[in-house]
Amino acid sequence: MRSPTRRKFLFGLGGTFLALPWLESVASAACARQAVAQRMAHFYVPIGVVRRGFFPGESKHVIPKGNLGNVMKSLGKQNPKLSVNPLEELTPTMEPLSEFKQKINLITGMDRTFQQGTDVHAQCASCYLSSAPPNAIKGSAWPLDRTLDHLVADQIGTKTPFPTLEFSCNSHRDNKESIYFDNISWYGTGHLAPSIRDPRKMYHRLFSTKEIERYRDITDLVLADASDLKKTLSRSDRHKFAEYFDSIRSIEKQMDRLETMRSELAQVTFDEPPEAYLPRGEYIRLMGDLMVVALQAGLTNVTTFMVGPERWDTPYKFEGLFDKPRSHHQMSHNQTKMIDDLLKVDRFHMEQYAYLLKRMDAIEEADGTTLLDNTLFTYGSGLGDGSTHQYNDLPIIVAGGGKRVPGGKHINLPEGTPLANLWLTQAKMLGVSLDRFADSTGTVDQLMV
Amino acid sequence: MGKSSVFAICLILLVGLFSFAQEDSSVSKNRSSQSGGSASAVTANESFDFDQRVAPILKQFCGKCHGQGDDLASDINLLELTTKNLDQHSELLQQVIDVLDLDEMPPSDEPQLDSAVRENLIKELRLMLHKQVERKKLFPRAPIRRMNRFQYNNAVVDLFQLKCIVFTLPERMMRDHNRYFRPETGKMPDVVTVGSRPLGKSQMIEPRLAGVAAFPQDLRAENGYDNQGDHLSMSPLLMESFLRLGQSITQSPDFHAKKVGIWQSFFRPPKDVSNLSQVVEDRLKPFLTKAFRRSPEPETVQRYVRYVMARLDSGEPFETAMKEVAAATLASPKFLYLYDISGSEDVSEPIDEFELASRLSFFLWGSVPDQELLLLAKSKQLTDPNVLSQQVDRMLKDRKLKRFCDSFPAQWLQLERIISSSPARDRFPKFYFSKYKTSMHMMLEPLLLFETVLIEDLPVTQLVDSEFTYRSVKLDKAYGELATGKLDGKKKGNDVQQLFFHRLPITDRRNGGVITNAAIMTMTSGPDRSKPITRGAWVAGVIFNNPPEPPPADVPSLEENPPEDEAQLTLRERLDAHRQRADCKGCHEKIDPLGFALENFDAIGNWRDEYANDRKVDMQGELFRKHEFNDVVEFKDAILNEKLRFTRGLAAHLLSFGLARALGPADQFALDEIVEQTAEDDYKMKTLIKQIVLSEPFLRR
Repeated sequence: MRSPTRRKFLFGLGGTFLALPWLESVASAACARQAVAQRMAHFYVPIGVVRRGFFPGESKHVIPKGNLGNVMKSLGKQNPKLSVNPLEELTPTMEPLSEFKQKINLITGMDRTFQQGTDVHAQCASCYLSSAPPNAIKGSAWPLDRTLDHLVADQIGTKTPFPTLEFSCNSHRDNKESIYFDNISWYGTGHLAPSIRDPRKMYHRLFSTKEIERYRDITDLVLADASDLKKTLSRSDRHKFAEYFDSIRSIEKQMDRLETMRSELAQVTFDEPPEAYLPRGEYIRLMGDLMVVALQAGLTNVTTFMVGPERWDTPYKFEGLFDKPRSHHQMSHNQTKMIDDLLKVDRFHMEQYAYLLKRMDAIEEADGTTLLDNTLFTYGSGLGDGSTHQYNDLPIIVAGGGKRVPGGKHINLPEGTPLANLWLTQAKMLGVSLDRFADSTGTVDQLMV
Repeated sequence: MGKSSVFAICLILLVGLFSFAQEDSSVSKNRSSQSGGSASAVTANESFDFDQRVAPILKQFCGKCHGQGDDLASDINLLELTTKNLDQHSELLQQVIDVLDLDEMPPSDEPQLDSAVRENLIKELRLMLHKQVERKKLFPRAPIRRMNRFQYNNAVVDLFQLKCIVFTLPERMMRDHNRYFRPETGKMPDVVTVGSRPLGKSQMIEPRLAGVAAFPQDLRAENGYDNQGDHLSMSPLLMESFLRLGQSITQSPDFHAKKVGIWQSFFRPPKDVSNLSQVVEDRLKPFLTKAFRRSPEPETVQRYVRYVMARLDSGEPFETAMKEVAAATLASPKFLYLYDISGSEDVSEPIDEFELASRLSFFLWGSVPDQELLLLAKSKQLTDPNVLSQQVDRMLKDRKLKRFCDSFPAQWLQLERIISSSPARDRFPKFYFSKYKTSMHMMLEPLLLFETVLIEDLPVTQLVDSEFTYRSVKLDKAYGELATGKLDGKKKGNDVQQLFFHRLPITDRRNGGVITNAAIMTMTSGPDRSKPITRGAWVAGVIFNNPPEPPPADVPSLEENPPEDEAQLTLRERLDAHRQRADCKGCHEKIDPLGFALENFDAIGNWRDEYANDRKVDMQGELFRKHEFNDVVEFKDAILNEKLRFTRGLAAHLLSFGLARALGPADQFALDEIVEQTAEDDYKMKTLIKQIVLSEPFLRR
């Protein structure tokens, strides 16, 4: 059967491909080895949201007029005090999540602090999961430290073939913007964990174990060179050069672990993605399916998913939404005229997130819970509203977490609560022993009651 | 040798004349050890004191914005500078010198420094900085970094002496179709046949190794060249690509005796197999030397020999075993990474001969050094200034220089930006032809100009105001009023695949040079209108190497089409009306005149005297608040009046590219020297490049 047809067929059944028989064997094998794995996934939405479409009680919120890129804070006044209310009727942008109301929590009132000197879009994405306070990183214009996904993977990603996987749905074909606009996952300052944009490449990374086996002999030889070389380097260069050792060792581990999973992986029925151009929605969902299958099959426990890059003015197609290619960023600075189109984009992104929740919730794990129950799956953006470039009051939704995270709440945190508080909370829930994360001032305990 | 000692003597003299009081024993210790006894001169004349002589001036003229309250302009606090902490603020000191020197600060609506005071202040600050730099002599270090994709391709081609490229590189913007690039002749032909990348993918497809897929294109570094270390890092994902790449190269069906230059000497099974391990060792030694750019340690060679022997022992054919060891070599960090051998982190020292060979070849050839450079390095002759100078001459005549021309000029001019420029179709219909854009012809013009200036060793001022240019028939026509009109009846070629570009004399000085050509004018415009601020920022950054800081946040941009109440304003008036924030002023006073100077060129580089609303274009201004200009030719004259500054800007770009790092305060004095030497030799391009190679930052770390 040709791949695209087969894939469509599987999708047509709405979730059934995730419940094919092999999965039970994977699941039971996993169960025999250990308890159900805890996972973390992040879904990043670029360029913020339109406030009045997203936040409860803001439907009459002022429409930003003209380009307000230098305002950098919310135009309206949010409730500055802590409140926890049940999620009632969902706002238009959140409406696609209605089916999962009891498995999600909306969190408002979280901020990041902008460090002067770099582009506001570049920083809001690249530093989103780092949240380092301004000027905390010496010699760098970026408050960018080892990001949450890697810190958590140091704890829960030590037995999977891939400690983390980075997905991106950047449709741009030009090379206009720098790495900072297109990446939320970093091993450390200046050390990028590059994402994969091409579903075929991701597919091969996940499922073709044959290719890399040839490298086993080579790695010994080149590691010896690396040790020689290291001796001749200065201290700072040695620090950076650790990336080479880390990379080689990761590949070795990856080979070993894939080897032990070989028979299980052989049963995965996920067809090779087509080479043909995919309309934007299909493209995002295909990448999403790959992410879900990677989490499900135990290939990794930690993923990040960028639904699009920051800024990048070049227009591209949003099939089904607009007739012509559009630039999300340019629209964001013209809400007066384009608010309806922007709301469509926000809702479109939310639909993709909802799609992934549905997929994950349809997968039953060995103990009767679902994949979603065992995953902290966070929707968020580095800007509260793209038009004003506000770093405050970011739109955040935390889904999943099972019994430990009772859903259905709107948690409005006191004004100025650092986003790092949520990252600290998640890190702790996943077993990382940390007292503080970046500029955190505490944990978001309301999430767990 | 001679140069640096003259430099040192000058320094001592200067320090002697203008020494500043500073109770810092390390100063005198260092200096006396270097120059033998001038320490007394330092302590004898303690007339200078920052706190007493500079700080009050800074407080009076700068303190209002850069020193009070929470709202520091550009986050710069000049009032915290004192004699004691000055040492930690070399960068800031350099910034202060630059803005004073270019007359950018104080802003024009603030009290101004008397020009004598200003000159004196600059002089004193420079000396102070010079002293700091001389004491520390710390050049910023380029961090260890992997090769970028372009360098990897070139290095593999050179290592195996491939007769084709490894993979297609969209980074290269121009293809040479008729082997016009012959630097050994010192002359560019009058007609060249070239292709441009975006005119169809097939344009750049050359004979290459089948079955080899490149690793992903390196994304741009922030404000820098694509060879800079900060973004060239490694990850498991990338490492996997490198491992795969090495295998796919040596196993490509095209990797055979006819295409691989070193086939006979490396891969072909030997006739005499009596002492195989000796044969393998003899073959590996030169191979590893070239791949690692230095003589490999005996243990390293033995390790690679054992690798091959193990394969042979297990029954693999000789050729296969050698292919495997070649693939492994390509994954070694000694091949993949560029780095300086450590040494003291506290003082500068000369780099070793092999490092110099690598710096040179990656600078001018984008690749590993050749045999001659490596031999000179081995025999420790390369650091001899005469030998070095001869080698630069040789390298500048080698066709591998094309790689420099394929990477530096396009990045210096930021030409990448033209590819996504899309002028509005309804306003500029002639910009489009069949499914293509004229910009694809435009972008070749400045590249060919740069290549000619280099190959023919012309003065770098030709880059600002050239006596000739290269255009296709289509491009010349696209210039409208500015067309040279000299191409009628000449061989036209086609407009898409192989473009004939003809050398044309420039008689109308509105034409010529890299600034006013259609490519730059188009890429610094929006779809509907020219963008003078964007143009100004381009001129400041590219021509004078003085790019504006990024705006505090994304500053609102003008609506493309003026609202009704602004319809009768000129662009300058509209921008003035929109720019209300005081803290924008400093920067805009610097960049705006540079951009408005080019307002006679519309969004596709065509000449206009009036805007669409019939208002006359107002482009008059002053360069550095010094040289008035009333038309674009006078603007070019103003830049030529400041040709030392232009040359310094270009030198800084080249040095930064050559060293794969951003420049620091210690580099500034080397730039002075480079520019001085270049000016003495009529600003010749090759002299500039040679002076870069002979400069301290290039030879030291």
